[in-house]
Amino acid sequence: MNWILFRRRVADRIALVGAGLATAFGLVFLAWILWTTFANGAAAISVKLVTEMTPPPGSDGGLLNAFYGSAVMILLALAIGTPIGLAAGTYLAEHGRHTKLAATVRFVNDILLSAPSIVLGLFIYELVVVPSQHFSGYAGALALALILIPVVVRTSDEALRLVPDRMREAAFALGLPRWKVSTRILFKAARSGVVTGVLLGVARISGETAPLLFTALNNQFWSADMNAPLANVPVVIFQYAMSPYDAWHALAWAGALVLTIFVLTLNILVRLVARGRKSA
Amino acid sequence: MNDVTIHLDSSTAKPVQPDAKIDVRNLDFYYGKAKSLHGVNLAVPANAVTAIIGPSGCGKSTLLRTINRIYALYPEQRAEGEIVIDGENVLSRSVDLDDLRRRVGMVFQKPTPFASSIRANVGFALSHYEKLSKSELADRVEGALRQAALWDEVKDKLDHSALSLSGGQQQRLCIARTVAVRPEIILLDEPTSALDPISTARIEELLHELRGRFTLLIVTHNMQQAARVSDKTAFFHLGELIEFDDTSRIFTNPQVPRTQDYITGRYG
Repeated sequence: MNWILFRRRVADRIALVGAGLATAFGLVFLAWILWTTFANGAAAISVKLVTEMTPPPGSDGGLLNAFYGSAVMILLALAIGTPIGLAAGTYLAEHGRHTKLAATVRFVNDILLSAPSIVLGLFIYELVVVPSQHFSGYAGALALALILIPVVVRTSDEALRLVPDRMREAAFALGLPRWKVSTRILFKAARSGVVTGVLLGVARISGETAPLLFTALNNQFWSADMNAPLANVPVVIFQYAMSPYDAWHALAWAGALVLTIFVLTLNILVRLVARGRKSA
Repeated sequence: MNDVTIHLDSSTAKPVQPDAKIDVRNLDFYYGKAKSLHGVNLAVPANAVTAIIGPSGCGKSTLLRTINRIYALYPEQRAEGEIVIDGENVLSRSVDLDDLRRRVGMVFQKPTPFASSIRANVGFALSHYEKLSKSELADRVEGALRQAALWDEVKDKLDHSALSLSGGQQQRLCIARTVAVRPEIILLDEPTSALDPISTARIEELLHELRGRFTLLIVTHNMQQAARVSDKTAFFHLGELIEFDDTSRIFTNPQVPRTQDYITGRYG
């Protein structure tokens, strides 16, 4: 065999083995984390999880109040963040498309996107919790909305910019005003990208702990009062995992498992939506 | 160069033809710093088919995109001069672009159906402009689809996605969508270049039927097509209007050597 060809083949093999090992290294930890969560969580899963409240030390119970609190705060964050994010994304991609302002906003939004969530939590703490002198579900939802908005801005901006210009031209050529072109025609064309963005945003905020620690805090008892401290899954996991009680550890594992399955399901949904986009 | 200008009368403003629907006067066009139309003068007759031919990059699509000001979507593009439609200079700042584009429809090179049903594609712009009852809207949608010779093929699936249609059908849908709002002028930018010969023939038949009701301006790189469908033909080269005359004259007895060279296939 030719020496050069032989050398190339050896180099190719080395690169292949190196890349394979690196991939395996990453996957091993992912599998390990998932396995630990499933093994410990599954043992703690029972009906009590969704029928009973978080227990005091020494007794067992469930996570009903935490599930409820998380669900309500995520929904409220969605209700606040999605319209704002979509409107801002539409501005960046359509109305402000060629302006310096849009380029600047896009840059700042990218910074916000990677801002540590604890900073956003502290921001809402100063803005809402301190003046009102108490932690609350509203403050928690606001903090989550602040994390959601840049995700939705970024993904809707990109989804709209992927719509080809000829679609835009065809719509404008009918004499339709800009707002109608954006909301009725371009959004339809970019729908799966926009939905993907919102789903990814929900996945992102559903596991956030730090911003809730400073805003919604936690509540050991059943409470549906959004204007008072509200139980939520991430903070319960955080507190129970740090505790010395076995019953609390078990509940923390169960909460972690439910959260993991929820995020996993969202990601599968995202893939299905994205596949729909390709076939459309 | 000089013989061209004399032929076009561009230096000595010629009297506007009484039946001119679109009167282009001394039009210059810029993409950023690059000038792509040079002092174009053209009187497009009303209710007839005018074809614009010329080699790639000669400015024929640019001219079309100036008439409904679709170029204004891109801030780096600008036009200077006048385009007078019914006595109004549509390049003036005070013109309402939405209203202009309702009066001047446009069909593009590639079919661009919206991601919604066939019915919604045709009815959408229509219901934006006119308050119509459900049955009136249905009638107008049917009328537009009939005008575009598409009705028989889609009447049983009006609620199906427009994306399920074939390329030729999609293009006729785009024509239906355009005629639905009853424009006065329809600009067609190489409307058949992405279509097969059978679909092309159908669209050409359609142009024959629309003629007389609309002022049609069609850009084509296919000279046979220009000869088949148009009453008047304008030949562009390097951003200048070289010759404009009755189609039969352009193709049998062109006055300018450059037109002759192009028609006979010496370049382009």
